Amino acid sequence: MRKVIPAVAVTALAALALSACSGTGSSSSSLSPAPAADEKVTLTVWSGFADRELDVVNSALDGFHKLHPNITITSEGSQDDDKIAQAVRGGTAPDVAISGNANALGQYCKTGAFQDLGGYIKRDKVDLGNIPKAVQAYTQHDGVRCAMPLLADDYGLYYNKELFAKAGITAPPKTMSELRADAEKLTELNPDGSIKVAGFVPTIGFYNNRLDVWAPQFGADWQNSKGDSALATSKGWTDLFTWQKKMTDFYGQDKLTAFTAAAGQKYSPDNAFQTGQIAMMFDGEFRTGFIDAQAPNISYGTAPLPVADDLSGSYGGSDVGGNIIGIPKGAKHAGAAWELIKYLSTDTEPLVQLANGLKNVPTTLDALKSPDLKFTGTLAPFLDIFASKHSSSLPTTSNGAAFLKTATDFAVKWQTGGASDLKAGLKDVDSQIQNDNALQQ
Amino acid sequence: MIQDTTTAAAPRLGAPLAGRPPRRRRSRAAARNRWTVLAFMSPWVVGFGVFFLYPLGATIFYSFTRYDLINDPTFVGFRNYVFLFTQDPLIWVSIRNTAYLVVAITVGRVVYGLLTALVLSKVKRGAGIYRTLFYLPALAPPVAAALAFVFLFNPGTGPVNQFLALFGIKGPLWFNDPAFSKPALTVLALWASGEIMVVLLAALLDVPTEYHEAASLDGAGALRRFWSITLPSISPVLLFAVVNSIIVGLQYFTEAVVAGAVASGSSDAVGNVASIGYPDNSTLTFPMWLYEQGFHSYNMGYASTMAIVLFLVSAVFTIILVRRMRVTGVQEEE
Amino acid sequence: MTLTTTAVTAARPEPDRATAPTAPGRRRRDPRARARSVLGWIGLHAVAIAMAIGFIGPIVFVLLTALMSDQQALTKDLWPHEWRWDNFGAVFQKAPMLGYFGQSLLYSLTATAGMLLSSIPIAYGLAKLKWKGRTWAFYLVIVAMMLPPQVIAVPMYVMWAKLGLTGTLWPLILPNFFGDAFSIFLLRQFLVAIPTSYLDSARIDGASEFGVLWRVVIPMARPGIAAAALFMFLRTWNDYFGPLLYTGENRANWTLSLGLAAFRSTHQVQWNLTMAATILVMVPVIVLFFFAQKSFIEGIKLSGVKG
Repeated sequence: MRKVIPAVAVTALAALALSACSGTGSSSSSLSPAPAADEKVTLTVWSGFADRELDVVNSALDGFHKLHPNITITSEGSQDDDKIAQAVRGGTAPDVAISGNANALGQYCKTGAFQDLGGYIKRDKVDLGNIPKAVQAYTQHDGVRCAMPLLADDYGLYYNKELFAKAGITAPPKTMSELRADAEKLTELNPDGSIKVAGFVPTIGFYNNRLDVWAPQFGADWQNSKGDSALATSKGWTDLFTWQKKMTDFYGQDKLTAFTAAAGQKYSPDNAFQTGQIAMMFDGEFRTGFIDAQAPNISYGTAPLPVADDLSGSYGGSDVGGNIIGIPKGAKHAGAAWELIKYLSTDTEPLVQLANGLKNVPTTLDALKSPDLKFTGTLAPFLDIFASKHSSSLPTTSNGAAFLKTATDFAVKWQTGGASDLKAGLKDVDSQIQNDNALQQ
Repeated sequence: MIQDTTTAAAPRLGAPLAGRPPRRRRSRAAARNRWTVLAFMSPWVVGFGVFFLYPLGATIFYSFTRYDLINDPTFVGFRNYVFLFTQDPLIWVSIRNTAYLVVAITVGRVVYGLLTALVLSKVKRGAGIYRTLFYLPALAPPVAAALAFVFLFNPGTGPVNQFLALFGIKGPLWFNDPAFSKPALTVLALWASGEIMVVLLAALLDVPTEYHEAASLDGAGALRRFWSITLPSISPVLLFAVVNSIIVGLQYFTEAVVAGAVASGSSDAVGNVASIGYPDNSTLTFPMWLYEQGFHSYNMGYASTMAIVLFLVSAVFTIILVRRMRVTGVQEEE
Repeated sequence: MTLTTTAVTAARPEPDRATAPTAPGRRRRDPRARARSVLGWIGLHAVAIAMAIGFIGPIVFVLLTALMSDQQALTKDLWPHEWRWDNFGAVFQKAPMLGYFGQSLLYSLTATAGMLLSSIPIAYGLAKLKWKGRTWAFYLVIVAMMLPPQVIAVPMYVMWAKLGLTGTLWPLILPNFFGDAFSIFLLRQFLVAIPTSYLDSARIDGASEFGVLWRVVIPMARPGIAAAALFMFLRTWNDYFGPLLYTGENRANWTLSLGLAAFRSTHQVQWNLTMAATILVMVPVIVLFFFAQKSFIEGIKLSGVKG
């Protein structure tokens, strides 16, 4: 059909031309002023929270509305990083976005998906010193600060007091050797040899046994001073994997797998620690909230995470990470958005309100010292852990948490016996991470 | 028989042949015919041009760029291709997974579909009821089916392992075990093989009974008859079922994503980066990795490179089918 | 071969099943042959019943779990202690299932309508109009049919983003107004089987091609059209990748498939409610099937014939 071919070609070319023209537009780098007191503005706020947690966030947003009656807020929950990215790409971004973790921060800053807040911070003379150093680290990438922190998690050791008493252990372990010794003492087996109570489950990927939580405790650095991946060169990694293997061998790989497979879901009432099937666990401060709600009868204590034997001077800290809040590219009311961000992330009152409601740690030193902060009992150690100078955070990268996945994949292979040469394996991981990064440039 | 409108002798246009209406009337009719055809086919012209040709060309273009869809694309030459073939550790995992699923799903669906169709073709009473029952699962939306299967195959509390325990078999961890997650997905595909079954059933019922009669009179047993008569008779439909299943396997996305996300206990719909392909990347299919790279990791250029690879592989099978159809003739008219 | 007969018989009620060959002179069955055939009958039905259990069993288990309490769903029990019919109601409270249902309906109905509007003329053009290159055009339809959607996902997304239509269902609905490859294939197969003599007599009477299509062909092709429409509806109803890509960010436009996949509390899966939601999502499709069984089955048969 002589007519058809040119017709098809014309249509295809038209479509090509249509898409070639840039649609996302260039964003102006000038700062938006705050809205005047009589200027009515509606802000859309997206967050990853849902159900009860979303209610807590909404009440904090109400507090802002009371101070600024001209600004109405529409809050949308269950919006994860994917959806925020989709919205930015499609030009339908909200005014304020709260991301559930800082893993995507590097991507947000590098691509401009979140706007650079440096200008606003300088204009309004925000005191960044009020934010702990480890927290400052995960809200900026390559010198660009494109988000403010909003509540954080830190990690500690949860231990079952009853089981401790039964085994005659008086104090929680402070070093990895002590952890292993206690775990062995606390483990109980069924008559058929399967695990009835596990002292400590060393399986990486199980519950909150994440590499980002474990790494600081062994002094395992993710990057060297040049920013290159350092799994093969940092001694802490070898220590980490060697310790992990020894602990796994104590149980027996198969038995451990059977136990973890049968364990309840991480955040459901049948979580194995909450049912008394695990004696010690690494977990975040938010676990106390779950225990209060789901297993109030369990007698448990909290303490800082153990550290490697040769690092006993660094006891008391942990990995730190948390929510970030920023202004996506294409936000319609950047000036008002910044006012909200400033309020939520630097004012003590909303931070304390959110911290108490969500059982997360507030991210300014003032809020940490506030008398209204209800971090008592088993929550108290987490405040000290957070403020400890030994706490650190994951490095920000331009391809998000991909490096974490690469390392975790290796860890899984290692613990199932699929990788016998640790040194070679770690070198591989490093080169993969470097290659992944190169793709982003 | 391919009916071609040009005659073999390819006459000069306009040369009046004996018995045909005079040239002017014919060309006016021909012109009207052309406009009619264009009118009827015009939606497809746009559809094919805009929704097939253009995106295919654009994918080729993007595969040579780095593009995050927030800023304009930047040209990077063959870097994406180099990365794909030499540096991406998960690409080969995803290719292996997809290959496994293509083979397992194709063989599984066609064989089990044939089996169930054979049973249905022999059953006389209640055939309609059986057919409905066999076909019903194929209607289940993939998300629902995947969720149901993760639940049913739960190693501790699911009915499948309990059933196996009745026979003293200790059931594996299914969706939590890298070695059994794909087999579990294959079982899911078998369960939903109703479509293939119905197609094969129609083909089986079409086999002329005289052939069977003649063969059994000659002393051929049931198996021999199946092999020498039934299979060849239904082979065109079998081919279509095979190619269709292959394409389904190449696109396999939804069930793998949902099963991995739910089994890992993650709370995002597609699963966060850390839990994708749970367990241990065993359910990471090629389309999943493509989606992950393009829409999670802002690597639209690289995702386009992967798309080209996927296209080339599916093109091979498409060409096989089309060539087969050309050989056997496209049915044109009564 | 027998293809044309299959397509034509699709217009009539399903033919009688092939009965066991009884050559003349074999009407008397000796007792041994009879015993063998009875055993064969039992064996066959045993297999059929086992298969039926395999197919329906999962659905039954899902239904039973949907009726359990929260705690019981986490245990090994297969039979609910108490029959919690209110679980189905709870599903609607937990997630805006009605909204998702409405979105799915909107998507499926408009996509199907668009498909019919565009693909019937196209199929007619491929089946009943004579023109050079028609066969190759048909091959192109097959090529388009076999294309995995992920191959063109990126540039399609870019295009829709530039048009500002992401976050809505339009990117999924609009393309169908320009023909859907699988439906074109199906309809073309069906139309080809309609004897041209009917069309020719209408043409001789002076009808335009459109008139022929509208007045003669479509009424005759109703079963095939119904089958194509049903398949389109089913395909869009079950679509997950499309809505995920285009409406993921906008919960108001989620379809049932997205809603179901995300159906869990922030931190865990409530199995009894999730299974109840699963049942609810399956019900409309099963109901549709029962009302339209013939068309479903015929449509599947059509899609499988070579040609």
